[in-house]
Amino acid sequence: MLAYNQEKRSKEQRFWTLAVMAAGGFALIAVGLLRLQIVQHEHYRRLAQENRVRLEVLRAPRGAIFDRNGVLLVDNHPSFNIVFSPLPAESLERARQVVHPEWLLRVSALVESDSAAVTELVRAANRSGQSAVLRRNAPFPVLAAVEEARSELPGIEVLVEPIRRYPHGALAAHLLGYAGEINDRELAERSQRGYQAGDLVGRSGVERSYEEFLRGRDGAEYVVVNAMGKRVSTLSEGPPLAPEAGHDIVLTLDLRVQQALEEAMAGVLRGAAVAIDPRDGGILGMVSRPAFDPNEFSQGLSFARWRQLSGGGSNPLLNRAIQGAYPPGSTFKIVTMLAALRAGMSQASSRHQPCAGSYAFGGRNFGCWKRSGHGSLDFPGALQHSCDVYFYQVGIKLGLPRLEAAARAFGLGDRTGIDLPQERKGLVPGRAWYDKRWGPGRWRRGVLLNLAIGQGELLATPLQLALLAATVAGEGRPLRPHVVQSVRGAAEFHAERPVQAGVAAEPVVWDAVQHGLELAVSSGTGTASRVPEVTVAGKTGTAQNPHGDDHALFVCYAPADQPVIALAFVIENSGHGGSVAAPMAGAVLRRLFAPDSLDREIAPVPLSVDTSEVLRGD
Amino acid sequence: MATRWKLPAFDWPMALAALGLVVIGLSTVYSATTVPGAHQGLWVKQLLWFGLALGAAWLAVSIHYRAYDSLAYPLYAISILLLLAVPLVGISAMGARRWLEIGSLRFQPSEIAKIAMVFVLARRFDDRKLDLTRFRHWFPPLVITLVPLVLVAREPDLGTSLSFPVILVAMYFWAGMPPGRLLLGLSPVMNVALFFLTGSLWWFGGVFAALLAFVRPKWSTLLVFLALNGAVAYAVPSLWDHLHDYQKRRIQVFLDPGHDPHGAGYQIIQSRIAIGSGGVVGKGYLRGTQKGLAFLPMRHTDFIYSVVGEEWGLAGALTVVLLYGLVILRGYRLALLTRNGFASLMAVGLVSALFYHIMVNILMTIGWAPVTGLPLPLLSYGGTALIVNCVQLGLLQNVALRRGEY
Repeated sequence: MLAYNQEKRSKEQRFWTLAVMAAGGFALIAVGLLRLQIVQHEHYRRLAQENRVRLEVLRAPRGAIFDRNGVLLVDNHPSFNIVFSPLPAESLERARQVVHPEWLLRVSALVESDSAAVTELVRAANRSGQSAVLRRNAPFPVLAAVEEARSELPGIEVLVEPIRRYPHGALAAHLLGYAGEINDRELAERSQRGYQAGDLVGRSGVERSYEEFLRGRDGAEYVVVNAMGKRVSTLSEGPPLAPEAGHDIVLTLDLRVQQALEEAMAGVLRGAAVAIDPRDGGILGMVSRPAFDPNEFSQGLSFARWRQLSGGGSNPLLNRAIQGAYPPGSTFKIVTMLAALRAGMSQASSRHQPCAGSYAFGGRNFGCWKRSGHGSLDFPGALQHSCDVYFYQVGIKLGLPRLEAAARAFGLGDRTGIDLPQERKGLVPGRAWYDKRWGPGRWRRGVLLNLAIGQGELLATPLQLALLAATVAGEGRPLRPHVVQSVRGAAEFHAERPVQAGVAAEPVVWDAVQHGLELAVSSGTGTASRVPEVTVAGKTGTAQNPHGDDHALFVCYAPADQPVIALAFVIENSGHGGSVAAPMAGAVLRRLFAPDSLDREIAPVPLSVDTSEVLRGD
Repeated sequence: MATRWKLPAFDWPMALAALGLVVIGLSTVYSATTVPGAHQGLWVKQLLWFGLALGAAWLAVSIHYRAYDSLAYPLYAISILLLLAVPLVGISAMGARRWLEIGSLRFQPSEIAKIAMVFVLARRFDDRKLDLTRFRHWFPPLVITLVPLVLVAREPDLGTSLSFPVILVAMYFWAGMPPGRLLLGLSPVMNVALFFLTGSLWWFGGVFAALLAFVRPKWSTLLVFLALNGAVAYAVPSLWDHLHDYQKRRIQVFLDPGHDPHGAGYQIIQSRIAIGSGGVVGKGYLRGTQKGLAFLPMRHTDFIYSVVGEEWGLAGALTVVLLYGLVILRGYRLALLTRNGFASLMAVGLVSALFYHIMVNILMTIGWAPVTGLPLPLLSYGGTALIVNCVQLGLLQNVALRRGEY
């Protein structure tokens, strides 16, 4: 009985311990409430009523972009934005002023916009509690006027934010891309990754594909604003989170090469040019016409202007260098020749039926571009003069599978894997493709003749054509075209390995192909690209297409003995490759290799793509 | 003459206090969701949930607690299996995977594990020969607690996972573990906590010395705990130095939400403004201003207490605290009065879990505890939480109904 009482007593003791602890916990809450609601009530009442706390974003600047020699291509500069910040609900008086017609009229006059647009922005801001930008990048006179009138215009503020600046304007616009303010849909998708309203996102080019490196991390601070929407102080309770700038990016692009390309293409309506370093696949220059000025996007575009840029027949936003797919025309004869030589079907010296201006096959007459005929040619000669009849015969002997395999080995018909967004594949039709298109066995071998000279359904992007020239220059070594050399502060970044395995062929085969290309420039169809004292190897192309006049094409590399640059030009609906495209390549090369030019040296960069381990073979 | 109908022997003060809290919760959910843009009509949904919760509570009352006693281990095993299933098939939201979904019902297995663990511990401790100073008596319950703790912490749900050790400590204490020993056992935890709170080891040194003087343990025990705390004191600072910056930042945000002004810190500041601006009598029902304009996020769930504090002021906020106090103290009183050992231990475990949740949530809204995402029992919007809380209260009424039985 005694033990029972003892146990009961100790249980009571424990009950009181628990009860006192619980009471202590609730007392702690009571103390906290007393402090907030009595002692500090006035402070918080003011914050809630007169003033309010707002979380303000400290926008992180995006990384800058440089060319391979450290010349600045993209950076940021301050933009003075005129902003409306919604007012606290308590200050009804103020809120009434804001919807007041006079306020609207004055504000719309100040920001030089129509009052309907301002009304809509102000409504949206009041609904969401987020500020709205009424005028981006306002010029000084507007700013001065706003500053003067601000004390009478509740809710109006001037905020400074970094915007994107492209000091060279439209130069390399397609490669660099542009950045625009994040829209609602993107925001919903990316808010988990730290994006918030008002942030810039890369929309095309390097700005888009390297978004994760270029964007920094936004910071934040609490600011106390008064009923006029004017900043009073920052709130000490929340220490500001410092913004972290994005990484700077160094491109493989060489500004001098780019400028030479831009100048050569100055008069072109539609077309593209690509310069690539055949030693490592680095892009030295890339031009697409028509071009646009990415600075326009930094200012904020009107919808009409955006429609104009993105639509229409010419579509300036389209990067034709990687998104335009063209029939390669005679430039494809390089592939046909290599396929034939490495198949061992014909030696470099072998001759076919002489060219008399046309070739009869399957009851049809296939013409040569030279109506009078080329007569008897050897392999390099056929390439030199771009004789269609010769290549018809090669194509028939070769057969579709081997031709297709060679084209794919050069990377045609598939993405090159360049670090730019939305690259197109082009098209290399094979048996399966024709079977699917026309039904099994319901197509003729005649298609082979067209394919052998780069016509028919074949499609290639200018980048793929530049890669074709670079691969010949490098004797089949696989290349990964890339535009970014390094990301500052991100040592782990490096260009990825090539997508293709390279082109396997004997050295004598490469010698023959290269010899043919050198002849084409020195005394064939591409003489317009000759450069004093430097041997250039190249191939012209004139592509028929269903949309109008022929496209003029030219691919080349130089110097022939130790190539440092490979080029491809595609000029839409402009005529012959030899008379339109080859002179442009000539102008670029003469400028780069001029005897008195310091530009003669295209600085070799350490190979960032390791291809030594890649197996040769298709 | 017919026998006079008598009220069932429920703990009526506790039941009425709980009902009062649910009513306050419903009306506050209504107020918090009347702002433009909010999901209106949630209070009706919550009312329907309350109907379901009452049904669940009635079930919990009507089954004799002996059934829970004998089913303790199977229930525990099932709850662990459910917790293991969470990372595999669970639903994730806001960066954590905490929920399972059966049909349209979504629930957190951690809530079930909590109740099952209370059953298991009560069953183990309900033993006349229990001696919690002996290793083989105190160690297995520790393992039983650590398993769900680790599983829940990995979801991650640190707030809920910490309720498991709170329950364990309360039940150790109720089952008769000497308080000094309990504190000694907790000393490594105190050690780490004090290091992070103060940044130096001296604080803990003083507390530990005082504790040793009070408990005067055997030499062997003393050596074990000196070694244990020495190891912790040595390891924690050097571990801290070896953490990545982002890991450090997470811990800092946990300790000081101001480090994360985008998320947790912003909520706490807005919550403090809402409560502080409420003053003594508040701004009046439906007239809170901070709940509007999206200033106070999660105002009908985790931060519902801030709306009470803003609209009803100190008077309303303290009323809620008093009602909670009534529930908790009546609960502990039940544990004292009931004669059955299992029922008494179960009551202490359940009440302590409720107490922990109330404290963590309310201290968070006044800015004295980190943001952990725990809802306020009975008040916050949320169907399954309401059901679980009503089941907990139903189990307590079950004990009240049969408090005379052995």
